[in-house]
Amino acid sequence: MAVFFATYGSLIVAMLLAAMLALSLYLPLLAGQLSLASPGFYALGGYVAAIISTRVVPFDSGAQAYIWRMGTHEVARFSGPLYPVSLLIVEMLVAGVLSAVLAIVLGLPALRLRGIYLLLATIAFVQILQVVTQVLDLTGGAIGIFNIPQPFASQLGYAWVVVPLLLLSAGFVYRLERIRIGRAFTAIREDELAAAAMGINLAYHKVLAFTMGAVLAGIVGVISAHSINTWNSRQGTFDAGITYLAFVLIGGSRTFLGPIIGGIVLYALPEVLRGLAAIPGLPLALAQLLKDGRLIMYGLLLVLGTIFFPQGLIRPNLFRHRTVEATPRKIEQQ
Amino acid sequence: MFAVGYTLIFSILRIINFAHAAIFTLGAYFTYALTGSAFGYNGLLKNSALPIHLPFLLAAVVGAMLAGLVAIVIERLAFRPLRNRGADPLLSLVSSLGVAVVIVNVIQYLVGAENYSYPAQPYGNLPTAINFGLGSQRIPVRTVQIVIFGVSVVIMLLLTYWLNRTKTGKALRAIAEDATTASLLGINTDQLILLTFFLSGMVGGLSGALIGSSVSIAGPYFGISFGLRGLAVIVLGGLGDIPGAIVGGVVLGLAEAFVPVQYIAYKDAVAFAVLFLMLLLRPQGLLGRAELQKV
Amino acid sequence: MRRIVARLSPLLVIGTWLLMACGAPTSSTTGTGATTSSTSSDTTTPATMTTTGGGATASSATTTEGGTTTNSATTTGGTTALSGDPVPLGVAVAETSNTAALGQEQVIGVTIAEKYFNDHGGINGRPLKIIRQDTAGDENGAINAFNALINQSKVLGIVGPTLSQQAFAADKIADTAKVPVVGPSNTAKGIPQIGPYVARVSAPVAVVAPNAVKAALKQNPQIKKVAVLFAQNDAFSKSETGTFQQTITKTAGLQLLPVQTFQTTDTDFTSQATSVLNQNPDLVIISGLAVDGGNLVKQLRELGYKGLIIGGNGFNTPNIYPVCKAQCDGLLIAQAYSYELVTPVNTDFRKSYQDLQKREPGQLAAQAFAGVQVFVEAMREVDKATPLKGLSVEAARTAINDQLLKGKYQTPLGPISFTPEGEVIQNDFYVAQVKMNADGATGKFVLLK
Repeated sequence: MAVFFATYGSLIVAMLLAAMLALSLYLPLLAGQLSLASPGFYALGGYVAAIISTRVVPFDSGAQAYIWRMGTHEVARFSGPLYPVSLLIVEMLVAGVLSAVLAIVLGLPALRLRGIYLLLATIAFVQILQVVTQVLDLTGGAIGIFNIPQPFASQLGYAWVVVPLLLLSAGFVYRLERIRIGRAFTAIREDELAAAAMGINLAYHKVLAFTMGAVLAGIVGVISAHSINTWNSRQGTFDAGITYLAFVLIGGSRTFLGPIIGGIVLYALPEVLRGLAAIPGLPLALAQLLKDGRLIMYGLLLVLGTIFFPQGLIRPNLFRHRTVEATPRKIEQQ
Repeated sequence: MFAVGYTLIFSILRIINFAHAAIFTLGAYFTYALTGSAFGYNGLLKNSALPIHLPFLLAAVVGAMLAGLVAIVIERLAFRPLRNRGADPLLSLVSSLGVAVVIVNVIQYLVGAENYSYPAQPYGNLPTAINFGLGSQRIPVRTVQIVIFGVSVVIMLLLTYWLNRTKTGKALRAIAEDATTASLLGINTDQLILLTFFLSGMVGGLSGALIGSSVSIAGPYFGISFGLRGLAVIVLGGLGDIPGAIVGGVVLGLAEAFVPVQYIAYKDAVAFAVLFLMLLLRPQGLLGRAELQKV
Repeated sequence: MRRIVARLSPLLVIGTWLLMACGAPTSSTTGTGATTSSTSSDTTTPATMTTTGGGATASSATTTEGGTTTNSATTTGGTTALSGDPVPLGVAVAETSNTAALGQEQVIGVTIAEKYFNDHGGINGRPLKIIRQDTAGDENGAINAFNALINQSKVLGIVGPTLSQQAFAADKIADTAKVPVVGPSNTAKGIPQIGPYVARVSAPVAVVAPNAVKAALKQNPQIKKVAVLFAQNDAFSKSETGTFQQTITKTAGLQLLPVQTFQTTDTDFTSQATSVLNQNPDLVIISGLAVDGGNLVKQLRELGYKGLIIGGNGFNTPNIYPVCKAQCDGLLIAQAYSYELVTPVNTDFRKSYQDLQKREPGQLAAQAFAGVQVFVEAMREVDKATPLKGLSVEAARTAINDQLLKGKYQTPLGPISFTPEGEVIQNDFYVAQVKMNADGATGKFVLLK
């Protein structure tokens, strides 16, 4: 068991983070908004964490403490080699607020677009952010920022933050789907025109859904930066966004459980194939195939997954024993 | 050029096909194999070569056909089942992503990840660049780029003619309007969509071969790096607009060329900023007319 | 679907069979005198590039080396049969993703190293066993590969990962677990400082930069204006260009034109090339990687640039030939490895590489070889003092790390050693000029003295 957790501690944390990223994509989708902006906010959150923990409150090896100085004045001091969890939470708050502000500024004009156009606009945002962080000195250029301090002694320690956060956000979305705002989201997704006719404020609700997704992605970025020790412009790219979208669609885009399960399962898949290859006693041929061909299999499973589970793995009526099939959803293309 | 193939599928089916980038790569590799060049040092097909040695241009055409065939296979396996189930068009995006992952990794498994290039001087003894500038202010343009541009314009003209003037083209546009009604009117939608995929694959494969002749094949991820840019181009030109795809490409190229040298680090950001503004201001594209919202 | 599977499956079967053949345990083989040679190279039978086990007989790596005594510094006897439990060493490089072009060179390097050292006595009689895990191109992939090697395979050390950015993520994991890591290609500043268990064999600072500029000045003393370009998304290129720029302005006193950047993923360099041309430089210096850098050279030449071009260390691979072809000719390249170095170990390495790959070795493979070599020699020393067999995995890892940093090594890169921090000390750097053959497809690096 100890070996299992030592081997897979970081994977488990990364899996849960992936589930939350999928959830952050799912939130705008609730209101019918197909956005791939999450990776951008994720990157932003990571940079917030990296800059605060290495530049604003750097570790002073002489004093064995993290010291926040303004000029020569010492504002705060946190002793010990481990990064204080309280600061981690502060970073999450800062990243959340920054993401929210940026999301509102970006969302107000962009959310007038629909379907594929919105998708492309958000991709453009992610790309611009990537180039800018790659050039700026503040963000460490191509190398990025490294030696990000660890708040926990082991990778699995992150579970203390990640699990509650996942439960919290899942609970939040579960609740959201059942209150007035959530119903307004659904109304907009099903028929924007009818929703507007019923007096639902389209712009407000769309930006709200978009912003909630952005805040979640930003917070996940903070944790991720600490857990992988380093942050650079290769994090949170367009490709990553497409992968999150796959999490949502394969998992199921009609209930909050879909993206969570999709994120966990799909993120772990290549690693499970790797792990299978290491099982002792497996015929060598099979082991090699699992190891070298794992990405080929991953791709095949994506194709098969969409064909055999067009509604996603998790459907809303899965647990309710209803026979009514969910109606296929159509995204407005115009 | 790359964008034309993309656009073709999008205009008919309203799907973004990520596998297109992989087909582009395949076209380049097929052409390479058909010129009889040996496959490198790594992968399963190490040091092997086809016994035939086609001249580059012929190889590019045959390679494009093969790429078209692959596109047909992809349509049958990854897109038609989804269409028949009336699934969310977004799903085909994921499915095409899966196909792209498979193709890229199979290429690497077979022939390794290194870069390849076609035999020297695929276009014979043309000068390497032509100077369009005057006096000391040189504006040289590489011959390869002129060839690529010329071929794309020709393909664009052919496709536009075909879509607007021929019976098949009209049937295709009917499918684009409304597939169900089109099939009720006796149009064989499946077959025509297959044809669309074949043509789009061919154009993609051909552009892979031509661009490969300009900058060498950079490995299995060759096409993927063009994918995003291709998307930007078709948006600039107006999604689903074939002449627009060419205009979009030219505009994007010019916008990048006018970035001052000091700020060239931000070149890619400029391209996407243009794209972003374009979406906000003229989502119908440079040449497009505003479409009526369907209610 | 079925048809595709049916068509692909023979290939997969052949592939896995071959891999199996190479990956088989070494108990039945003596590890020397490779019996088959794959000279019939244009059949579809792939020669075995992915050897994972020790000294497989089917490997085409060394067809002639056999038991003849190669008087390498590390020889402990040519043909002794290896016995006992294999000593596990992990290799975690990017075998997939768009970084795979670098990773597969490293795989070749470690494969040759594994066979070479097992042919030369292994770890004092016990075979060395390389265990590979793919990191792909991202940070999480590197972390997962490291974790699998450390906790599941219980390796005594790790050579990897490929990219500096990955190293910042994964090396920390190894350092915390007290597992020695040697970076084969991580050149960014700050890697050895990650912790006491992190070292590298890839020289960080471009010590060669001044030499390359000197060589250019020797060929054309009239140089006044210099244009500098670099790949902004590549960590090494970015630090290398700094050294180049300093050399030009401070040491050589030349005029530096506005610096331009590109991306390693770029293919069209028309705007950069045109702008360079219009400033009429006498020398162009490019820091980038093989494909992007090669394309930039090609496009500069095609658009009419006639002067000298210096390519940074990223150009030091035969992979540039297919990119710029005839236009590579005359290119000056700063090298941290030259295959022309005549030392016993490099001669053997070069020969193995040529037999396996039918071309000259590049820097990445040589550095990966050196990465394995420092581990092997450290393991031998530790084993001599206290047999590794008697040590716990943890104690062995620590002892190997201590020994590794103390030793001096005769590698294909030339003699190297480490600072106490784990930074490599390398003395031999080179400047070479590319000479393309008449066919425009192949060429060679000619060393400049």
